[in-house]
Amino acid sequence: MPPVAGSYRLEGLAVPQSLDELHQLLAQVAVDHPDVNAEDLSMLETATIEIAGNVVEHGRPAGKVIYNFSLTVADDRLLGVLADSGEEMAEDPDRSAPLHTAESGRGLLLAQAVLDELTYARTEEQNYWTMVRVRRG
Amino acid sequence: MELTQTESGERTAVVGCSGRLNMVAAPQLRSYLTDTINGGRDRIVVDLSETTFIDSSGLGALIGGLKTARQHGGDLRIAAPNDQVRTVLRLTNLDRVLRPHDTVDDATRGW
Repeated sequence: MPPVAGSYRLEGLAVPQSLDELHQLLAQVAVDHPDVNAEDLSMLETATIEIAGNVVEHGRPAGKVIYNFSLTVADDRLLGVLADSGEEMAEDPDRSAPLHTAESGRGLLLAQAVLDELTYARTEEQNYWTMVRVRRG
Repeated sequence: MELTQTESGERTAVVGCSGRLNMVAAPQLRSYLTDTINGGRDRIVVDLSETTFIDSSGLGALIGGLKTARQHGGDLRIAAPNDQVRTVLRLTNLDRVLRPHDTVDDATRGW
């Protein structure tokens, strides 16, 4: 049977353990879709963990933010959408590279670098991060 | 993530880091490296051969260890990263300060 497009969803409290659940979801996608290039999936995973890590670390009220992640495997792209119930995130306006010696401040830059598209939007109640990785393989 | 000290010399420690090096694990690595360096081993090789994934927090822990080691007159090198780690290092330009070595032996050469 040829591989088919698929959708995945995960939701819960935005706490550090959520990152493990996201890793496991991405691992399941790899199993279900052996046709997806490993680097494409790995780069989407990299971006997802960066953005989710931001929500876990900076989402307010801390420990009470609910996240909802969806991932779609399409013929030409991988699409991840991470929504969260936290207060409006002050999108870091400075996406320039930090100094080599900096120990933080690379997350958004890295997520952007591994994706073809990264957008942030705010509705009345949720933050939305949309991540697109165009499939190379 | 699990940390192991697989090999040690008078000033050298090889720290194995298995699993995911993300924001959950990064503080543990940062603390381990600081303790090792403060304990007198300021030449550190972080063996990444069993590291399956790294994020910016993990990179921060490595940079923190590098800075601490150099402040003590030593250095920190990384060995055997997988493709994801190499790509992340390259995209953040950190491969200029944390040049990946293919093996632990390569990393310890000259020490």
